[in-house]
Amino acid sequence: MTFLAQLLPHLVNGISLGLLFALIALGFMLILGVMEVINLAHGSLFALGAYFAMMLLAPKLGLSSSTFAWYAAMPMSARYALALVIAPLLVGIVGMAVEFGLRRTYGKDPLYGLLFTFGAALVIEESIRVIWGTRDYVLPLPDAISGATLVGGMIYAKYRFFAAAFAIGMIALLWIFIERTPYGAIIKAGAHDSEIVRAMGINLSRLRLLVFALGAALAAIAGVVMAPFWGIRPHVGVDAVVPAFLIIVLGGVGSFWGAVLASLLVGITVGLTGAYASEWSLLSMYLLLVAVVSFRARGLFGKKSVLEA
Amino acid sequence: MSNLSSRRRALKAAAAGTGLAFFGPFRHISYAQGKKPIKLGLTCDASGQYGDSGQDDMRGMVMAIDEFNAKGGVLGRQIVWITQDTETTPATGSRVAERFITREECGFLVGALHSGVANAISQVAQKYGCIYFNSNSSSPTEAGKDCHRTKFVWDGNGTNFSKAIVKNAIAGVGKNWLLLTNDYVWGHNTSKAARAEIEANGGKVVEELLVPQNTRDFTAYLLKIQQLKPDVVAAAIGGDDIKALRTQVSQLKLDTKPAWINNQQDWPDVWGQGADSLFGVFGTNWYHKLKLPGVDDFVRRYQVRWKDAPIPVPGNVSYNGYMCTRELLRAIERAGTTNNIAVIKQLEQIKVSAVDRMQNYDAYMNPATHHLQQTIYMARRNDKPVDKTDLFEIVSWTKPEDALDSREDDLACKLETYESTPTYEL
Amino acid sequence: MGAAQRISLGLVLAALATLPFWIARVGLYQYLGIEILVWGLYALSYNLLLGYTGLPSFGHGAYFGVGAYAFGLMQKYVGANLWLDLAGAILAAALSGALVATFISHRRGIYYALMTIAFCQIFWFVAIKWHSVTGGEDGLLGLKRMPAELGFASISLADNVALYYFVLVVCVAVTALLWRIVHSPFGRVIQAIRQNETRVAFVGYHVWLYKWLVFVLSAGLSGLAGALFALAQLGAFPDVMSLHSSGFVVMMTLIGGGLVSFWGPLIGAAIFFIARDALGALTSTWSLWYGLMFMAIVVLKPEGIAGMWQAWRSRRNARASVSAPVKAQA
Repeated sequence: MTFLAQLLPHLVNGISLGLLFALIALGFMLILGVMEVINLAHGSLFALGAYFAMMLLAPKLGLSSSTFAWYAAMPMSARYALALVIAPLLVGIVGMAVEFGLRRTYGKDPLYGLLFTFGAALVIEESIRVIWGTRDYVLPLPDAISGATLVGGMIYAKYRFFAAAFAIGMIALLWIFIERTPYGAIIKAGAHDSEIVRAMGINLSRLRLLVFALGAALAAIAGVVMAPFWGIRPHVGVDAVVPAFLIIVLGGVGSFWGAVLASLLVGITVGLTGAYASEWSLLSMYLLLVAVVSFRARGLFGKKSVLEA
Repeated sequence: MSNLSSRRRALKAAAAGTGLAFFGPFRHISYAQGKKPIKLGLTCDASGQYGDSGQDDMRGMVMAIDEFNAKGGVLGRQIVWITQDTETTPATGSRVAERFITREECGFLVGALHSGVANAISQVAQKYGCIYFNSNSSSPTEAGKDCHRTKFVWDGNGTNFSKAIVKNAIAGVGKNWLLLTNDYVWGHNTSKAARAEIEANGGKVVEELLVPQNTRDFTAYLLKIQQLKPDVVAAAIGGDDIKALRTQVSQLKLDTKPAWINNQQDWPDVWGQGADSLFGVFGTNWYHKLKLPGVDDFVRRYQVRWKDAPIPVPGNVSYNGYMCTRELLRAIERAGTTNNIAVIKQLEQIKVSAVDRMQNYDAYMNPATHHLQQTIYMARRNDKPVDKTDLFEIVSWTKPEDALDSREDDLACKLETYESTPTYEL
Repeated sequence: MGAAQRISLGLVLAALATLPFWIARVGLYQYLGIEILVWGLYALSYNLLLGYTGLPSFGHGAYFGVGAYAFGLMQKYVGANLWLDLAGAILAAALSGALVATFISHRRGIYYALMTIAFCQIFWFVAIKWHSVTGGEDGLLGLKRMPAELGFASISLADNVALYYFVLVVCVAVTALLWRIVHSPFGRVIQAIRQNETRVAFVGYHVWLYKWLVFVLSAGLSGLAGALFALAQLGAFPDVMSLHSSGFVVMMTLIGGGLVSFWGPLIGAAIFFIARDALGALTSTWSLWYGLMFMAIVVLKPEGIAGMWQAWRSRRNARASVSAPVKAQA
């Protein structure tokens, strides 16, 4: 019984970690599933989101303090909510710029899209370094969600529960958007058969632009949410992009719930190995991937997609 | 069509011409008047994990160089310096070292934080006989099995800090310890030293948890620690991992029970993360608010020289950069020549007084390992800062002899002979 | 090979053979020449996969690294003989490649790319964790440049110039080997796989085996490049196995024109290192400019520099004679 009591907090941790991974993977999954583009710039957009949020929460633009006095006087929670909305919007715009460059690669070997986004990742990360320097930054948090809380005799960070709940909310929102709104239907149709979509009079290039922007915005939201855990530095994106596509491959390309399930699986694996075989905690997700893909080549719920051609 | 191709041809010719001009013979600048300057190569990171600290390191070095130049240089020669980003990558370190020595004709190389980069550079330096100063890499192997006749190490290493801190903590806090070890060479060596010190002082290591490099989420470890309930946790965590650990422990306010013992914390990292992220007791080899002669003046000189630097006061990294460069230039002055063997022999014997070091105790070079032994400080977060830079509260200081890393001595370190080291004079 | 190609090749060889004499005059240095050759070899081996078979490996640094470590470990623990240690490096890298290829050769495209990344991370992790063997982040140090024993003579490689010539000879030999492979029936099959894997299977070739073989070959030769790099650096470090570093070989292969030309990767390697060195001395943001250039080439001219050269030459030829367009030469 005590073993279970010992195990329970780690299980809770694993699930919360899995939800955070799911949040990180969402934007990557959207772009991959809908546009068949492997967005290697996902990590850099993730980092950019964190930087924009940091700027919005504690603006030091060097402008006169009176101009921003009213902004600085706003309570932290209002500013935080604002950052959660505005930072992703700004990164969405950056995403649109990337998509613009990507256009020439559609219809060609998906390799070109992959390589383009790889270059974009490098350029965005370097730009971050040029603009903000190499130092670490901290994302300030509103008091309501910072600090510790006692659950079942163990101390957890309040923010962790907030972040996990937020992740659940985002997953639900995205699912509703894709499955229950007309826009989602158009996006899915565009993924399956772009010709028919065009024949129906829908502007395909505008659709792709918006989807990419949405994917970038999702990456940015994940960046804002993860910033208090992972910190803000130029190369923080690398920690996001590798788990993201590992999870997508594990869950299966083109499957929403596959990605969510895979995230939870990865989170629980990393969380439990962290407690019981800590030296293998990071490697465990790669071993999990190799194990699953060896038996189910398309991942857990992967559907045959155009990507395999 | 032909217009397009002739325009392209013209562009290509222009590009080629610019390229040739660019690659032109810069090197053959003759020094008709005055003596040839002494050239230092500053192998500092500007990107990657230690990009921030690398630039801070360079600020200290350049300060020292400027001060000597203001006094007329060394041996009547001006000191010039060049730098290139070593990208926190050993392969780049090797290339930059080769470039500095063979193309730029640098007589001396200074700088590194990452032990792999330091090793890559020092192997190249030893090959040519070029003196190399490892200003800020704190791996115990640097002056141990990876020592070289041309290499000098100026930072306290993980073992020094462990020894200094552990002894004080056992007496003060408790006997049951948990080791949190980053699963790479530096982490293991540091924890090994901590364990030896713990057991020698009557403590007991309850558990050792290995933390793979690049761990960003420490929740599993923090939960485990709450379950095991040790008195003290000794964390040998470095790089980006300690930054994540700092934010997560401070969020949990888990830093009073158990007590935390950290290893050396670099000032640039701490400045970036802020005072709130500091937890437990940690080490440093210098602090800008030490109540010692010369400290305030040094800080003021730094602030004048680096008005717009991202970090407004010097910390341990820029301090080490400054100190080692200063000692190099002094050694050349004393040797009366830039002959590398003569300068090495000077450096091996240096003793720097406490006042000169702005530390509490005298520092001295260990001639058998080329590692400078210096005062080690214990600090914790300052709850009563006098200004926004006053992040540390210095708790105690340890004599270098009491923090000695005995495993790095003659057993592990085998310096090359003077005879086998190429000699030159630039 | 056409006459024009032979002449260009001859000129390049002459330039490379005389490099020690002019490298300093153009503001570069001998070690850079060695690095360009080593990475050129690495990129050529890599291009067997990317350009010829159409398999995007994003984790090739693993085999370069395995070669470097294997070379060092053989030197330290088995025997300090240059040929033995190089052979050991090739074998170790080829075996690593064989292991990974067994898991991935039935895939292609995105799954292939992502699995190569996963395996690369695993290798990197082992290099860091198994530090009792590899030296971890400190690196496997103190490697020596053993002399090249040729039976009748023993040539010391301690000097950078001597090592450069040795690496040049190895590179020329391997390039010739790769040329033969690419122009052999095996080479035609893998190019066919790139164009349409299903059709190749229908024609009766064992596609999995070809993909497996080409990966092993590419990994083994990348390991050779890694071993030569360990000779140059006098050590083996885990950083070459990072995703960042693996990405560099992809970038230089593409920019050079590896997708349409045999020589593309070599051009790409040369440009990468020269630009990096020249720009790196001026600014610490060279990778920003390189990344922008890379992005531009991917969308505008994915055939890379070699491709642009071919297009220019064929336009010139087309103007000279009215004939069918000249196809890209492999």
